[in-house]
Amino acid sequence: MSENTDKLSFDEKRRRRKITRILAAVNILVISLVFIFGFVYLLFFKRETVSNEENRNLTKFPKFSLSSYFKGEYTSAIADYYDDTVHNRSEIKAFISSHILPLKGMSYGDDGIIIIGKTYSNEDDDDTAAVPPTEPATTVSTTEAHQTDAAEVTTAVTETTTAAVTSTTIPDNKNPEANGEISDGIVIVDNRGIMLFGGGKKNGIEYAESLNAYKRDLGDNVNVYSMVCPTPVSYYLPENYQNLTASEKDNIDNINSALVNVTPVDAYTALLFHKKEKIYSRTDHHWQPLGAFYAAEEFARVAGVDFAPISSYNEITLEGYVGTLYGYTKSSALLNNPEQFIYYEPKTEVNVTRYNTSFQNPTENCSLLLNPANMSNSSYYMVFGGDEQITHVSTSCKNGRTLVIFKDSYGNALLPVLTSSFENIYLCDLRYFDLNAVQFCKDVGATDLLFSMCTFSAVGVNHDYLEVNRTR
Amino acid sequence: MVFSRLFFLYLFLPLCIISYAAAGKIKHKNTVLVIFSLIFYAWGEPMYVFLMLLSAAVNYGCGLLIGRFKGRFLGSFSAFIAVFYDLLMLGIFKYSGFIAENINTFFHASLPVPDISLPIGISFYTFQTISYIIDCSWEKVQPQKSFKNFLLYLSLFPQLVAGPIVRYSTIEKEIENRRTSVSDLSNGLSRIILGLSKKVLIANQLSEIASNILDNIGSSSVIGAWYGAAVYGMQIYFDFSGYSDIAIGLGRVFGFHFDENFRHPFMCRDITEFWQRWHISLSTFFRDYLLYIPIFGKRRKYGGLFLVWLCTGIWHGASWNFIIWGLYYGLFVFAEMLIGKKRMKKIPIVIRHIYSKLVIILGFGIFYFEDLGKLGRFFKACFGFGGNGFISMSDKISVVNNVYLLIAAVVCCFPILEGIKKLGDKSFALKSAASAAGTLACAVLLILSSIMLVDATTNPFLYFRF
Repeated sequence: MSENTDKLSFDEKRRRRKITRILAAVNILVISLVFIFGFVYLLFFKRETVSNEENRNLTKFPKFSLSSYFKGEYTSAIADYYDDTVHNRSEIKAFISSHILPLKGMSYGDDGIIIIGKTYSNEDDDDTAAVPPTEPATTVSTTEAHQTDAAEVTTAVTETTTAAVTSTTIPDNKNPEANGEISDGIVIVDNRGIMLFGGGKKNGIEYAESLNAYKRDLGDNVNVYSMVCPTPVSYYLPENYQNLTASEKDNIDNINSALVNVTPVDAYTALLFHKKEKIYSRTDHHWQPLGAFYAAEEFARVAGVDFAPISSYNEITLEGYVGTLYGYTKSSALLNNPEQFIYYEPKTEVNVTRYNTSFQNPTENCSLLLNPANMSNSSYYMVFGGDEQITHVSTSCKNGRTLVIFKDSYGNALLPVLTSSFENIYLCDLRYFDLNAVQFCKDVGATDLLFSMCTFSAVGVNHDYLEVNRTR
Repeated sequence: MVFSRLFFLYLFLPLCIISYAAAGKIKHKNTVLVIFSLIFYAWGEPMYVFLMLLSAAVNYGCGLLIGRFKGRFLGSFSAFIAVFYDLLMLGIFKYSGFIAENINTFFHASLPVPDISLPIGISFYTFQTISYIIDCSWEKVQPQKSFKNFLLYLSLFPQLVAGPIVRYSTIEKEIENRRTSVSDLSNGLSRIILGLSKKVLIANQLSEIASNILDNIGSSSVIGAWYGAAVYGMQIYFDFSGYSDIAIGLGRVFGFHFDENFRHPFMCRDITEFWQRWHISLSTFFRDYLLYIPIFGKRRKYGGLFLVWLCTGIWHGASWNFIIWGLYYGLFVFAEMLIGKKRMKKIPIVIRHIYSKLVIILGFGIFYFEDLGKLGRFFKACFGFGGNGFISMSDKISVVNNVYLLIAAVVCCFPILEGIKKLGDKSFALKSAASAAGTLACAVLLILSSIMLVDATTNPFLYFRF
């Protein structure tokens, strides 16, 4: 029942009005203080320029032009600059990850799985797209039982160049059931971020057909290889979450089944043998250089070239590495459990020239690997550099073989570990390439052409660049 | 410019309030508000601000003519010209692409499809000008003689780009005669923070859950589809009502008193009641200006009703799903009208709540999917024909991962603050304690929301696209 204020004395009413006004004034004062603090903090404190955990430079203050103004870009960019470069941004983000976002809910089960974002969509799979090739599909054929069905199977590898048959025991790839979090298509379990794979068999066939076209265009003098690199989801996803992802193995097999005169390189099995080693980053969506080493070793075997053992490299360890997956997920589990980034520097001498994406403006005598101490951010790119360039490496290996690699960022880590295998290597990113790729291969005298990208690129939008570059 | 950005909260708004406070006389305060409103709009739409100014000029001029030629042909003609102009602009900038596409599809024509970007807020300010012209014509309001004051009404930045649709009659007197009391300022600031928190702390977080499920509807289970649509419904509610709260709060700070736009819509017991509680400024607009126009003769009650719902759907977007969405609600309102209020009330309240919530959740599914193929898959999933089982593990994980957020969202759908206010009416001491606690809560919510905004990519309010 409401209090009857009519019966109150005049003084009491006045007293209450006064208290109400004081409370309202206090409310205004407190809120205004927060606004004033925010105003001063955001306007006068030092602005950040780089986000290490997101692996990017923060927004810069825009340059004015009438065109950008009338498109609304200039004003939007000012607001972006203001919002993006907040003082102590990284610390604030870490606070959000550690103290605010966990308030949303609980981890699922005892061990705490979190899934961030979308999970596997069977909309992407189109079985009818798996067109059988009209010629014998591969020069290397792999026959194996489904690896999840049996712990030990025998794989027969027939290679036309060597006609060798090897028998190998494939390790068990089952992972114990575990619990965690899922967000933005990323499962976080045991302090590891794992991106769920959507698959895309139709795109996979298009990828294969593009490579077949490269082989046709280049003729018999150039060996063409396809090495589709699996990601951590193939090796570390607990069994109870397997239904959330498409199978990378199935998608790679689908691609290989459609290759014509293009040699597949089985990085999947090569990496499976080493899954207990640090072949993938826990906090980044890339592999670790060690994973690239094992994949490159398999490629060298298939290509019939020498390959230097890991002991012939200088091993360099960087501590405190927190990669891109933290930026994507804001997971405190990743932020609070940094890892080592270990990379390998060739001891042999190499000459490195870097060009722009039109193979112009050469910068000679570059370092093969960047010095991370000179970099302001912590990422996969701190050692391997960016993607928007063409890199030519001339090595001391004098076997007359010239390799062109078309890759996504996974391929960056292959370059150092192939320097003992080819006389010349041209590393090109398929997304940042402004020439006709076939003509480029002919112009540089390629003897071998490797397409090396992760499964997400091979069956995702990046595969479109293959045809764009071939037909440009 | 978006309210839920640090740039707005900690630069634009303080500068605007300081300038407003320093302006002194009301006419100077109005000048300050007009300037800041135009900057606010031009910040995102440097070209379309001229379209809005043109709209203001046309409607201002027609309003004067209506006042001058009351009851005469020229007055009615001016009203016709103004409304025609308003609808024409809306048609060109919002619907021309959609119309051309459909003519091409249905008549195998090859009309060029215009690629015109939608001017922000055009649906809102156009409806404001239409209501002004009709009210002038019906002599409910006197035409505004000062262009600056009319521009202030139209461009006032708190409600310019995403409503509520403020009637001229609501703020007619306050344009030239208003003051901001201590209570106005206090309540206004608290309301801004409430709205900001709804948007940043709840709606933005719910959006991740909803899009993760609904963007992947082809692999969604039965429960997943219902859960995704329900979360999306709550997201829209907190997003849009949050914006309305900020708009109303900003209005109070500057001495304006806008009408409420939401009254806890999920508390409704039937669909008719839902629309009395949801986006009230839009439903009352159609009720007052469209429902009873005599184009359907004796059947105007039902004909008008479906016209209203068709227009409600189209207003939300140039896409078939919005038309279906409008007519879907029209069908339920029509059915409830046929059943009658008395018989509806005899249905057990639990049944009515379940019925209304299921209809609303499905409605949000229709609202979400502009692609009709995906909408079909959504319905299949909802009714067990999606082939992905009853419940999936990702559904369970999503619920557990977000359980506290979901509970908080559901609780906040109830009139909690009204309950606390009622409690305060019983005892002055309780009221004072609640007020002090409210101050603390506002400070905490503002700090939390601001911190979250550091981590937010630009996440505009959903109703910006309308």
